[in-house]
Amino acid sequence: MHFSRKNLGIPYAVFLAVFVVAPLVVLLFYAFTNGQGQFTMENLTGFFTDPNALGTLFYSLLIAVVTTAVCLLIAYPTAYLLATSKLKNRTVIVMLFVMPMWINFSLRITALKEILTILEGNLAMHPFLNAVIGMTYDFLPFMILPIYTTISKLDGALREAAMDLGADRTRTFLEITLPLSLPGILSGVSMVFLPAMTNYVVLDMLYNSTYIMGSLIGSYFAAYNWHGGSMIALVLLCMICIFTLLTGGEDETARGGALL
Amino acid sequence: MSAFVRNKRTCALLCAAALGMGLFMPARPAAAAESEDPVVLRVSNWEEYIDLGDWDEEETIELESGDIIGETSVVEDFEEWYEETYGREVIVEYSTFGTNEDLYNMLTLGDVYDLVCPSEYMIMKLMAEDRVVPLSEGFFDETDENNYYVRGVSPYIRDIFESQEINGEQWSKYAAGYMWGVTGIVYNPEVVTAEEASTWKILGNPDYRRRVTIKDNVRDSYFAAVGALKSDLLCSEEFRSDPDYSRNLEREMNDTSPEMIAAVQDYLQALKDNVYSFETDSGKADMITGKVVANLQWSGDGVYTLDQADEDDFELAFAVPEECTNIYFDGWVMLRSGIEEDPAKQHAAEAFINFCSRPDIAIRNMYYIGYTSVLSGGDDPRIFEYMEYNYAAEDEEEEEAAAEEAEEETVEEEAEEEAAEEETAEEEDAGDGEDVIEYDVSYFYGGADCEDGTYVIEAPAESLHRQLFAAYPPREVLERSAVMVYFDQEQNDAINRMWVNVRCFNIRHVPAWAWVLIAALIAAAVWATVKVRRHFSGT
Repeated sequence: MHFSRKNLGIPYAVFLAVFVVAPLVVLLFYAFTNGQGQFTMENLTGFFTDPNALGTLFYSLLIAVVTTAVCLLIAYPTAYLLATSKLKNRTVIVMLFVMPMWINFSLRITALKEILTILEGNLAMHPFLNAVIGMTYDFLPFMILPIYTTISKLDGALREAAMDLGADRTRTFLEITLPLSLPGILSGVSMVFLPAMTNYVVLDMLYNSTYIMGSLIGSYFAAYNWHGGSMIALVLLCMICIFTLLTGGEDETARGGALL
Repeated sequence: MSAFVRNKRTCALLCAAALGMGLFMPARPAAAAESEDPVVLRVSNWEEYIDLGDWDEEETIELESGDIIGETSVVEDFEEWYEETYGREVIVEYSTFGTNEDLYNMLTLGDVYDLVCPSEYMIMKLMAEDRVVPLSEGFFDETDENNYYVRGVSPYIRDIFESQEINGEQWSKYAAGYMWGVTGIVYNPEVVTAEEASTWKILGNPDYRRRVTIKDNVRDSYFAAVGALKSDLLCSEEFRSDPDYSRNLEREMNDTSPEMIAAVQDYLQALKDNVYSFETDSGKADMITGKVVANLQWSGDGVYTLDQADEDDFELAFAVPEECTNIYFDGWVMLRSGIEEDPAKQHAAEAFINFCSRPDIAIRNMYYIGYTSVLSGGDDPRIFEYMEYNYAAEDEEEEEAAAEEAEEETVEEEAEEEAAEEETAEEEDAGDGEDVIEYDVSYFYGGADCEDGTYVIEAPAESLHRQLFAAYPPREVLERSAVMVYFDQEQNDAINRMWVNVRCFNIRHVPAWAWVLIAALIAAAVWATVKVRRHFSGT
């Protein structure tokens, strides 16, 4: 049998079919059927008329937006400083930022819980703040790394050219460095924003008893309502798709900008 | 209890080993004498809900009727015992589940088990859906000495299993009990008084704002809320003295009228701002580390929490609310989808129940899990002895004898001897100040008709709010206990909707200024994007 290059894709195709496509089909089936297996749009209309589901979506978005903003505010200056510094051991320092990711997630959050208890006294008094701190703690490396990579790959000549042409440091940063690091920012944002919307384990462990999207889906399944739960998962999937397309589109523009 | 520490550490490993054995054993050459294929029994139980063996030497439980120690896992011991007793090889494929709902979902997805151990309401659901096989006649034959369950089950539990029905069928026809308990409040006696802890209202008590925890499941929270809302009625003399008290109590506590559900929703919504957390597991640790001062707890986990705190020299206590308590059971049922009218399989499944009910095995499980077995032991005194071993007040005479013995041994190292003497002295001091009470458990060992005073252990007075009280609540506590029944689909939907309402953020609660702010932010973001784009296309 002739072995073509295409055959190299078979393992992944199988993986894709079994673990990505098949579950999606099941999800779609449950989302658009009722208990009797008949086609229905009720789950969809139900989601958009349920003040709890919408409220949960709102709350999840709020946590995700705030977390992303905080991460960006911390990560950008750090990454900028690191990428533009002349330190010899930059990779070591970058590794320090990544290191928390090597430790088990629930262990880290448990430790964070103790630290927050010391700082705040009673953890349960600030559920929203805790959620944001927990998520920031967890996702910060995902924001630092792409920004750092983008900035360190920037052509220094562009910055020098701007300076030569009379731009001061602020203007050089605003018109050269910042726009050119947009792809890094965007990839960081999508890597933080999306998991922050659904990662309910952080909320659970830090005692925020309000549901976010992930826990809402879980509660539907615990109540044997697979149809409603699947629909929420589907809505979330669609939102993530749209978000990715939007940031992906921006990505292209940013790269276009880099070429100019 | 060090069993728990070790339990956590090795659980995963042993489970993996147990599963692995289940998978690989068929490949083993069959015993030459046996022509029959081995019976494969698929058992699914709660996580960490059976003794996995591997105890340390010093963990040996020394009872008058002999020592008990778990060397190998109960599952392995069963396989050995079954082959020895019935001459047929059995292979147990043991797996675990996390919640009743998980188990049910796994069954719906097509997982097949022969024997499972869910809680009473899930048993009722499975019975109502005709998914379970009735226990055979042979299982109830008290003359068969291998029928440890019927010979040893507590008459008190047996009565409940016989009096509780679903669709006109008694529980006892289908289910055999495993562990049982009541819900109550674990509290820190330094901060909370026993009186404050003895009501469901503690969960809403503003004095302990953000320092109490509630369960993260709708049934336990619902029960507690109903108890708090109906507190006045439930505690009233009139209600208490009604000849139909028990039945009335059960009806009141299983009230799922729309008005009640609405009231519970309001109550729990307010509670959400008063409790520290909705927890399933973390409450124990938060109690021990002092983060919270009271937590709604199942008695089995209550015992565990108190034991753990004792190790840190931190005293906690257990109380059962005055209004009422939820009595719960976990029990074995055989599933129709697994057994499929295979008598060999059913025989093995029933034998497994019986083996777990053998007094020494039940004691091993109790020690390992910390929950209370439904068994009283029947003719076998060991379960009563085990309770005494755990909870009885130290007998002074015996202690002295032991001390003398130690002295007689003429220990070479004097220091050691001195230490021993000091210890005895201390204990005696404590003994003088400590009152001993007669703790009556006749209802459990002898049944409803058994006169009080028949089964009594002498326990320290503090037992009334300590482990003994949680493990074997006294008769008057159980008189105010109610079974929380299985709700039908409609009621269940209503309660689950209520729960989602409690836990979710309602979009209508977003204030107008927030919407304005969000609109402004979005507008700013759009404006910035447009501006950036123009800037680049302009260059």
